[in-house]
Amino acid sequence: MADDVDQQQTTNTVEEPLDLIRLSLDERIYVKMRNDRELRGRLHAYDQHLNMILGDVEETVTTIEIDEETYEEIYKREEQCCSLQVCSELTADP
Amino acid sequence: MSLRKQTPSDFLKQIIGRPVVVKLNSGVDYRGVLACLDGYMNIALEQTEEYVNGQLKNKYGDAFIRGNNGRPR
Repeated sequence: MADDVDQQQTTNTVEEPLDLIRLSLDERIYVKMRNDRELRGRLHAYDQHLNMILGDVEETVTTIEIDEETYEEIYKREEQCCSLQVCSELTADP
Repeated sequence: MSLRKQTPSDFLKQIIGRPVVVKLNSGVDYRGVLACLDGYMNIALEQTEEYVNGQLKNKYGDAFIRGNNGRPR
């Protein structure tokens, strides 16, 4: 894992990826997540854990169903519209 | 590329600006120019192409990849 003190000393010359996300604040972004989930919305806030707050957001869930007779793959996309969504990027992997 | 002993942070500074392939544990590949990365392996790419099962799926101008996604399962 990174040493936080060293990170602060080196950010004077090199921008971190998180700095580049800061440039996207108040812009519409596309977020791809686990389990074939996608979000498109306006980035209002984020933190170092990549927790995000998005506004005017559209959530898309893509599922694949296989037809038992033809083994044809059917792609279903569910879309929901929300006014504000909190998105937590913390993974729960042990 | 030099094979002499160097710290991981030296290596990371060396590859910035090069075209790279980032392979995620989900099986998706991202090819692009490495803009920057940090000690958590968070990665920022430019001119990114997304390959799923070897097929080009999407293109992004700028892409940010969270560092935890490279861990093998």
